[in-house]
Amino acid sequence: MKQDKPAAKQQVSWVGYAALFFALIFFSGIFSDAENWTRVLDFTVLQGSFGIIGETGKAIFRGTGGTGARDGFMFALSLMPSVILALGVVSVIEGLGGLVAAERLLSPFLRPLLGVPGVSGLALIASFQSTDAGAGMTKALYEAGDLTDEERTVFGAFQVSGAAPITNYFSSGAGLFQFLSVPIIIPFVVMLVFKVLGANVIRLYIKTVAKKKAVA
Amino acid sequence: MSNAQAPVSRQSLMDMFVAGARRGWNVATNNMVPNVIMAFVLIQALNVTGLLEIVGKAFGPVMALWGLPGEAAAALIASFLSMGGGVGVTASLYTAGKLSGPDVTVLMPAIFLMGALLQFMGRCLGTAGVDSRHYPVIIGVCIANALLSMWVMRLILILF
Repeated sequence: MKQDKPAAKQQVSWVGYAALFFALIFFSGIFSDAENWTRVLDFTVLQGSFGIIGETGKAIFRGTGGTGARDGFMFALSLMPSVILALGVVSVIEGLGGLVAAERLLSPFLRPLLGVPGVSGLALIASFQSTDAGAGMTKALYEAGDLTDEERTVFGAFQVSGAAPITNYFSSGAGLFQFLSVPIIIPFVVMLVFKVLGANVIRLYIKTVAKKKAVA
Repeated sequence: MSNAQAPVSRQSLMDMFVAGARRGWNVATNNMVPNVIMAFVLIQALNVTGLLEIVGKAFGPVMALWGLPGEAAAALIASFLSMGGGVGVTASLYTAGKLSGPDVTVLMPAIFLMGALLQFMGRCLGTAGVDSRHYPVIIGVCIANALLSMWVMRLILILF
């Protein structure tokens, strides 16, 4: 944990908070139907659309009625721009300090929300991007004495359900964005809420069932 | 406050975007394309053999609890093994006309909440050193998370 401590004290400039705010707007779809220039603030607008082939007025290069591996390949090709754009934008937000800003905003709520100390904020944000980084940092927190074994179990349960949500949702998940009938960010928020709920079920379980077993 | 201490790197916005886009390209080619092809071949095989219809019928009554067709069970089972597989199966069921847009919306958080649990037991809980006695309960909670999230998404859909 030693090498992580200085990072935890980094200053967050207003740019970081602005980037985080932008990210929420960008994936929220608030501006997707705007009629003026503010449309530029929306993922689906910047994603644009494929051109139409021929005069059918419908089919893009994928064609219609395909099946099997060939259709899967053409379909996957049509999803690639979403994945590339989503991760490009996530990278800009990360580079501007948006994730550090999120960590700063979340830290005070970790104790009430998950029962883990605020110092776990960095591991939490890391776990949003990489399952392995989050798990590794959690182990380090335990070894440094910042987390008890029980807190580690709750924190681990939080991480494993919907693991690495930023990376997985905005890469693999981006392939499904175009079929969603709600703004992109809504399933993501539902996911985060359930991550917290699930972790609290485990928190309760540890406090009651697991403790009793240990005593008996 | 001061830019010197901020985590802002010296890269330009364009460099940052391109670096992320490159990661996106790698994820798409190494991960998404193979997963989607796997899923399309799987669904094609299930379709040709008539098994998809059987899966649809067998899981129909259960999935109806969430207003989903029985075939949606295939997406959930696949996601338990890998998130990419879950996304791929969902996409192929959508293009085959078995799932609608709202159906995909309902499934979306669930694919990730119970996603790749088989793999993440080791990669996440194992690495963090969580006591393996608790694994079954944690896995149960992940699956409960996924099933409950589908009802929440159904409710949210009413608003749109």
